[in-house]
Amino acid sequence: MTLTAKALDERVGCLPPSAVPNEPPRRAGGGTNRRRWWLLACVAAVVASALPVVLDDHPVIRVDGLRQLVEFFAAAVAPRVDGGFLALVGASAMTTLAYAVLGTAVSLVIGVVGGVLTSQVWWRADAPARRTRDVVGWSLARVALVVPRGIHEVIWGLGLLIVLGRSPVVAVLAIGIPFGAVTAKVFSELLDEADRAPHDALLAAGARRSSAVLYGLVPSALGDLLSYAFYRLECAIRSATILGLVGTGGLGTELLDSFRALVYHEMWTLLYALILLSALADGWSSLVRTRLSGSRSRRRGSVDGRDPVVAGSVLLAAALVVASVWWVRLDPSVLWSDRSARQASMLAGQVWPLVMVDGGLAELLRLAGVTLAMSVLAMAIAFAVAAVLAVPAAALPQLDRVTASRARRLPVLLAARLTMIVLRAVPPPVWALLALFAFYPGILPGAVALGIYTAGVLGRLMTEVVDNLEGRPLRALSALGASRRQLVWYGVLPAAAPRFAAYSLYRWEVTVRETVVVGVVGAGGLGVLLHHQLNSFHFAQAATIVLTIVLLTLGVDFVSAAVRRSIR
Amino acid sequence: MWRVARAILLSVVLVSTAACGAGAGGEPGGLRIGAIPDQDPQQLQRMYGVVSDYLHDRLGVQVEYVPVRDYAAAVAQFERGDLDLVFFGGLTGVQARKRVPGAAPVAQRDVDAQFRSVFVANPAAGVEPFTEVGDLARLKGHSFTFGSDTSTSGRLMPQYFLDRAGVSLDDFTGEPGYSGSHDATLKLVESGAYQVGVLSASVWEKRVQEGKVDPTTVREVFRTPTYHDYHWLARPDLDQRLGQGFTDLARDALLSCDGSDDREKQVLDLFAAGGFVAAAAEDYAQIEAVAGQLGLLR
Repeated sequence: MTLTAKALDERVGCLPPSAVPNEPPRRAGGGTNRRRWWLLACVAAVVASALPVVLDDHPVIRVDGLRQLVEFFAAAVAPRVDGGFLALVGASAMTTLAYAVLGTAVSLVIGVVGGVLTSQVWWRADAPARRTRDVVGWSLARVALVVPRGIHEVIWGLGLLIVLGRSPVVAVLAIGIPFGAVTAKVFSELLDEADRAPHDALLAAGARRSSAVLYGLVPSALGDLLSYAFYRLECAIRSATILGLVGTGGLGTELLDSFRALVYHEMWTLLYALILLSALADGWSSLVRTRLSGSRSRRRGSVDGRDPVVAGSVLLAAALVVASVWWVRLDPSVLWSDRSARQASMLAGQVWPLVMVDGGLAELLRLAGVTLAMSVLAMAIAFAVAAVLAVPAAALPQLDRVTASRARRLPVLLAARLTMIVLRAVPPPVWALLALFAFYPGILPGAVALGIYTAGVLGRLMTEVVDNLEGRPLRALSALGASRRQLVWYGVLPAAAPRFAAYSLYRWEVTVRETVVVGVVGAGGLGVLLHHQLNSFHFAQAATIVLTIVLLTLGVDFVSAAVRRSIR
Repeated sequence: MWRVARAILLSVVLVSTAACGAGAGGEPGGLRIGAIPDQDPQQLQRMYGVVSDYLHDRLGVQVEYVPVRDYAAAVAQFERGDLDLVFFGGLTGVQARKRVPGAAPVAQRDVDAQFRSVFVANPAAGVEPFTEVGDLARLKGHSFTFGSDTSTSGRLMPQYFLDRAGVSLDDFTGEPGYSGSHDATLKLVESGAYQVGVLSASVWEKRVQEGKVDPTTVREVFRTPTYHDYHWLARPDLDQRLGQGFTDLARDALLSCDGSDDREKQVLDLFAAGGFVAAAAEDYAQIEAVAGQLGLLR
């Protein structure tokens, strides 16, 4: 498999592409059968998760709460736009952007170092004459990256806030560490799949292992890493916003202030700023990534540094890093201050040994079940909404000749893309409160909130899937006179469905972690208990819950990888 | 590509070192005051701006107000030593004392000894107003939401009174909500998402005064007995850092703020108080006991 083919899968972005759903489909009868079983299992999981909602003795939707929903959305036409507030919003937007840029930069450093250290080629763990020491080293390095990845940015933020106090370093690391762990995984896979010839030649010529990897492998994987970094920038903006909800500053913090007092017209100004920021980041990253994959398919190998868009973007990104350091007054000295060391040892002392939650293992499992059910329902909603939005949002560049109809479709395309940006720009806790207006408290409002937020993220990935579909069958259908609807039903959906499913399964893992940020919905689950324990400084129990979420995430990842293998 | 990468690395390193140099000034020599985010941050900024000026004049040291966005974060920063003097809520103050041995309550407002919570209900829930704590049992079988889970008036004391009336959290329909703020509680009860909720009496009264409460959608059903709430808490190393007897000076400065000039009037107005009175750890014994019972103290 080539790097270019791989590039699409990295776009999964906010989650590690642990398996590559890009191999030619297997036609064996056993595969189809297994696929049916998995489909059945998925349906069963969704039904089981929805059961408590349906069995409740009240109707699903609350009509009298719709007034509050109308009130919220009515404020969209009258955001607060006085000069003073706009200045505040502008400054907060810069802060959010600065955190996102710096967090991404840190994640790249962690990603490159961690990626090399977790690659098979570094440990020579796949070499025929591998040594046990190397296999153990490789496995340990992999495991070391699982934990930072399994912990939500908000939890990182809360922990770092205790250790480092009020410092911009908190937000930067809370984004940089988990993102870095994911980037490391992606980068290690890129390294392992890169062309080994230069590396082997250097080794044969007597170069040391580090030089061989650094000069023989890293350059050829850098282009894909760059592409991935630009993709992650938009994710980082969303993470910086959600982190703001724990008080690190920026748009999220301002949003929290207006959200607590429920000043809707202020919330809308902030949401517009977020939507604008996301849209800009999205546009920039698509531009760079299109150029990168274009230049790579023309000339195999490393990035074409002479492409003016790519070179300019890299320079702009560098300038942004420098400007961000200045803007947030990043002072890393807090990392090695005595006070931080004291707090870190205090926290470590109170986290370990772990303490089982009140109610014991049975209660922990019950809560994990609630969290799991919420995530399953959320993914079902996200899948449906995203699939419905992705088809009109796709530009279908494969059909080059039908330009006239594309111009006609442009408003629909833009509307669908804008909808997806809005869905993912509004932080899940805000969706949660809105969902509470429309539904009865329980897992349903939580699932709806996470589901429509995730739909925004998934929709973007699904749109790219549709735009990257093999063009020949579509052109053939079109040449046979198929209408657009027939094209979608018989050309696009059958080809895209397995990848839609694969991306949704990927994203499931992230959604499990994200259940911790929709505590307001009164659904219980691990997230609510985690907040209680953190707020009562019971770090040993909080750590038990975090560990449970990490294990749950791993389990989900395992199941989803199995399903993905079978639907390939 | 490599040239660009090198240029990036170089500039990042340069700027970071510059930033380190600027930040390595050591501990600031001033007094850092803070508060839990129990109301509109702009209002807090106004309140503590005035108080900072007042304390600066009285104590002769730099006074900085450090805004905090989260209850637990206020406690954590006090513990870390980033905040010296904090106007805590009842529960957060008790939590902070537990985590920072030797921290002392310095003062409270005259009104802080008579705090109350108000239970509000959506009229459709059919809960009639009552006056006895024991009648809280009437709330059984309704859906219910607290405010922020470490709010004294929005969670801790309401749960204490519920407990006294023999109501456990399992007696409500579904799991109780934690709305996150007094205003969110009000809105959720108004919308009918939860049938009953509880919030600080002072916030409730303010919203009623402002005309923001529609009596057809939400009404008061019960007002709790009084309890102690907010208080100023000082770190034990305050004297060591800012001079022998500094804590006493700070206490005197607060206690002598009696509205005798315009600025003192302004301070008291912003704090909605007639004055500050001395506070002792015993005043919060009840809160401490309840918090311990609910597992909120570590």
